Amino acid sequence: MVVAVVLLVVLSSNGSDDKSSKTDANEVPTIQVNKNGEPVGGIVDLTYHKGDRIRFKVHSAIADEVHLHGYDIPKEVAAGGTVSFDVPATIEGVFEAEMEDQKEQILQITVEP
Amino acid sequence: MSFLSSLPFAHALIARQDLPVPAWLFAWGASIVLIVSFFALAAAWRKPRFEDEGWRPLGAGLSRALLGIPAQVLCGAIGVFLLGVAVYSALRGTEAPDRNFSLTFLYVTCWLGFPVFSALLGNLFKPFNPWRAIGRAFGGGFEAIAGQRAAHLSYPEWLGRWPAAIGLLAVVWLEVIYGGSGGVAVGLQPEAVGVAALVYTGYTLAMMALFGVEEWCERGEIFSVYFGMFSRLGYFGVRDGRLGRRKPLSAATNWATIPGSAAVVIASIASTSFDGGQDGAFKGTIESVSEWVLELGASPLTTVRVTDTVFMLLCFAGVALVYLLGVRGMRTVRGAPSLAKLRNGFAHTLIPIALAYLIAHYFSLFVFQEQAQFTYLLSDPLGTGTADLFGTASAGIDFTVVSANAIWYVQVGALIVGHVLGLTLAHDRALAYWPDYRDASRSQYWMLAVMVAFTCFGLYLLSAGNG
Repeated sequence: MVVAVVLLVVLSSNGSDDKSSKTDANEVPTIQVNKNGEPVGGIVDLTYHKGDRIRFKVHSAIADEVHLHGYDIPKEVAAGGTVSFDVPATIEGVFEAEMEDQKEQILQITVEP
Repeated sequence: MSFLSSLPFAHALIARQDLPVPAWLFAWGASIVLIVSFFALAAAWRKPRFEDEGWRPLGAGLSRALLGIPAQVLCGAIGVFLLGVAVYSALRGTEAPDRNFSLTFLYVTCWLGFPVFSALLGNLFKPFNPWRAIGRAFGGGFEAIAGQRAAHLSYPEWLGRWPAAIGLLAVVWLEVIYGGSGGVAVGLQPEAVGVAALVYTGYTLAMMALFGVEEWCERGEIFSVYFGMFSRLGYFGVRDGRLGRRKPLSAATNWATIPGSAAVVIASIASTSFDGGQDGAFKGTIESVSEWVLELGASPLTTVRVTDTVFMLLCFAGVALVYLLGVRGMRTVRGAPSLAKLRNGFAHTLIPIALAYLIAHYFSLFVFQEQAQFTYLLSDPLGTGTADLFGTASAGIDFTVVSANAIWYVQVGALIVGHVLGLTLAHDRALAYWPDYRDASRSQYWMLAVMVAFTCFGLYLLSAGNG
């Protein structure tokens, strides 16, 4: 009886698992960063699968370094400038991108298996 | 968007966080726990098997080599040297927590490494304990000069291991609350750790002078008590100066005879729960309470620290409550011993759960950060880019050495194994306490509920995101 209930739970949960919103490969999201180094509209969540390419742009009102942690990719951005990232998603996990000098997180990137 | 959510809650060291355990694995994990528990009730043994350690000595030569005076002096000196390196690099090295030797060495290599390896092998910390080594050297010096042993106060029995339990919470608090909510900082500043280590050294040596080195290590010294607790699960043990083998788990059965021991293991589960939940399961609630505290007029930094501290204490209270409910339940079974005896008598059954929580929450951190420990942090302990002692200063962490799937299986596997070991110890203790094995089995419905609660809560924390 217990086993039957348990199996039911397992089977029913299997069906509702696939909720991850995969980022559209053709669309390159642009994060707008204001003068305080904060992302306009809040921290952006992007989800990828291993093997995808992590693509995004950061348009910043201030000069700073955009740092994609974990992948450890720093890129300088000028005030009023835009910087592009195009990185193969090789490492699984949850990562932050931040405006390094401002210590302000702008992106949360999830790479699923 | 609240401004609080933009404050860094992240760990000092982590450049990568674990993915939440997916729903299907959560369900499988919980199912296995229930099925295992179901069989545990049915297929139970009738006589206690772990109350006797079954200790057998290893060769006398090996004992002398590993435990003799030269080995004691050498290990003690290594411990003192490494503590010195950690404090020096903390105070004189870079402010960047991830590039400074001290944080990874103290909070990852030692704080996570000793519990795991001690649980397998026995008490590895004792010979390397720097404060014990200094205390014994002082004691020996005093004896040589004064011609008699130093006199000590008698340690208050009621105080037991409470100083260690409170200290354990303080160690975690320093890292995940004081450091984690630094406001402008990215995490715990190495300098703060250096100062804390020096203050702790002064305090520990003073307590050793008051109560005696071994007495304080057994009851009050945070790291001896905490790592020593896990070592009771391990295979090797020392008896009367002789190294020997023992039945794994068996030495845990007489660990909790000192008052406050239950608080130590509860503090361990609670602090890991808090750290695991603060960025996941508890995040929403913590933020709501934070906003409320903020409206009372507190500064943002104070708000975050006060709220997090309250939540950590709530975790302690919650874990304690579940355990005490189980104890109270067992008391209702015919032939039960006193409440106090039950409370201390089953505390050791939570040690495997505490270890499972540690592994589940910090396995990936350990695997990744140890790469840093043995490459660039070793070659350039100060993190200032001025040294390359072993030619590995420019190495990095390879985050692909374990996949997300592997991490999930380790996490869920650890919780299930911890659950089984906890049940094993609890059932065995019940057989020792109840004259009739049927009553003993009946009493274990309660501990079973406690273990299922902790294991499923652990799974829930993992599935809701791991801080």
